[in-house]
Formats: sequence, C-alpha cells, structure tokens
Amino acid sequence: MDLAVIEKVVATLGAIVVFVFALIGLRGEWPKNGLDDIVTKLLLGLMAFGCLLVLLATAGLLPRGGA
Amino acid sequence: MSVSIAKQGYSLGHGHDEDAHEQVIYQETRDMRLLGFVLFLCSDVVLFSAFIFAYIYLRTTVAPSWPPIVGGHQLPRLDTAFAAVNSVVLFGSGVTMHYALENFKHANLRRYNVFMGFTILLGAMFLGGQGYEYAHAQIGGWSGNIFGASFFTLTGMHGFHVFAGVIYLLVLWYQTQRGVYTQERYFGLTAGTLYWHFVDVIWVGLFFLFYLW
Repeated sequence: MDLAVIEKVVATLGAIVVFVFALIGLRGEWPKNGLDDIVTKLLLGLMAFGCLLVLLATAGLLPRGGA
Repeated sequence: MSVSIAKQGYSLGHGHDEDAHEQVIYQETRDMRLLGFVLFLCSDVVLFSAFIFAYIYLRTTVAPSWPPIVGGHQLPRLDTAFAAVNSVVLFGSGVTMHYALENFKHANLRRYNVFMGFTILLGAMFLGGQGYEYAHAQIGGWSGNIFGASFFTLTGMHGFHVFAGVIYLLVLWYQTQRGVYTQERYFGLTAGTLYWHFVDVIWVGLFFLFYLW
C-alpha cells in the first residue's frame, strides 16, 4: 500500500479519536466559569476544529488537502 | 485581596484555621498569576500573528505563484498526509494533557502519570516528525526563498515552543512526584496545561496556512 494512503488512514483514525475525546473534555469543562476554564474551553474547541481540518484534508474535501 | 486577608487575620486572631488563611492567600495570588499567565499567552499570540501576517502578505502580494518559482522550477507542495499524522499526534497530546490535569484534580495519580507520560511522549514524537520533515522537505533552505524562509521561521518558532513545553512538562511531572502540588494547590499544572493547549492551537493555524491553503 502507498505510504501516503497509510498516513491518511492513520491521520483519519487518530483525528476521530482525538476529536471525540476533545469534545468529551469540552463537555466536562462546560459548566465551569473560571478564567482558566474559559481559556481551556476555547483552546479545546479550537483543537477539535483542528481535528476537523485534518479529517477534511485527509478526505480530500479541501481544495489542496489531498496533495 | 487586603479585605480577605484582613478577614482571615481576624479568624487567626481567634486562634484557629491557619490553613484556611494560607488557602485564601493562595487563591488570591493564584488568580493574579493566572491572569499574568493568560496575558503571557496573549503576547505569544501577538508574536505568532506578526509572523503569520507577514507570511500571508508575502504569499498574496509578493510571490506571483505559490509555491514560488526558484531557478526556473516551481517548488513542490509540502507533504500534507505526513503533516496530518504529525498534527494528530500534537492534538492527541493536548487531549492527554487535559485528562492528566483532570485526573490529578481527582487524586487519581496513577492515571495522571499515564496521561502525563503520553503527553510528553507525543510531544517528543511531534518534534521528531518535524525534524524528519525538515530533513525531507524540498523547498530550499531557510535563506533560499520566501517559502522556505516563512516555513522554517514559523514552524521553527512553534517547534521551539513545543520543545520548551516538553521540558516544562518534564519539570511539572518531576515536581508532582516530589509532592510540590496538591489537590488544592496545582497552579503550575494548570499553567502547563494552558500552555500546551496554546501550542496545539497555534499548530492548527500553521497546519492550515502551510499545508491546506
């Protein structure tokens, strides 16, 4: 199998796992309102967004993602 | 702050609860340290933003094509598939760091150690991946062209932050083993977690700019 295909499969599976656990972590943080909690929520949310970017890129759904 | 300390001083004057007094002082200094740390992260955002906007400017206005043409040949695009794996490694470390802190808060030290160990390992793996990419990226060197200059400057600066973060986490781990932090007082771990999340999120931007745009 082509190395790039293996990398895409690994990245896809990893991104799904990380995305799910990031959302679970975000859900746990949601009721908290301290400054550190708010920053954590923001950063966890952006990290989950990063996972979505990886998923879109590996699926070739972004204009140059599949290069 | 002075009001709370004064109140606590009144309590001390009545002969009990010295620990509570210390806890009040800790809580108040913690809030200030936290604000200072968040401001530090904001200053780092400004630093990265300056370089990112310079890259966007170079790419959109200076270079007629992207990747730029050097010596009559257009430079190849970076390896998106490999970068996607490396990105997942870094994002994964952010999640394990979050769960390390949560487990420490709940006094589950065994799980804390496992998650912290994975965080450090994944951070080191990301650095290794970046080193591999540096060795194999065929975009010229740091000073060869604007693509290489932008790429190595921004990802190098980020890599330095990751490297510093790995050292920071190792120190935090050592301190935890020495009993520096307790379930009531763990500001260092909170700051370390925020820093690590920040480093992850900066990579989201760099991943998009260099590999997907």
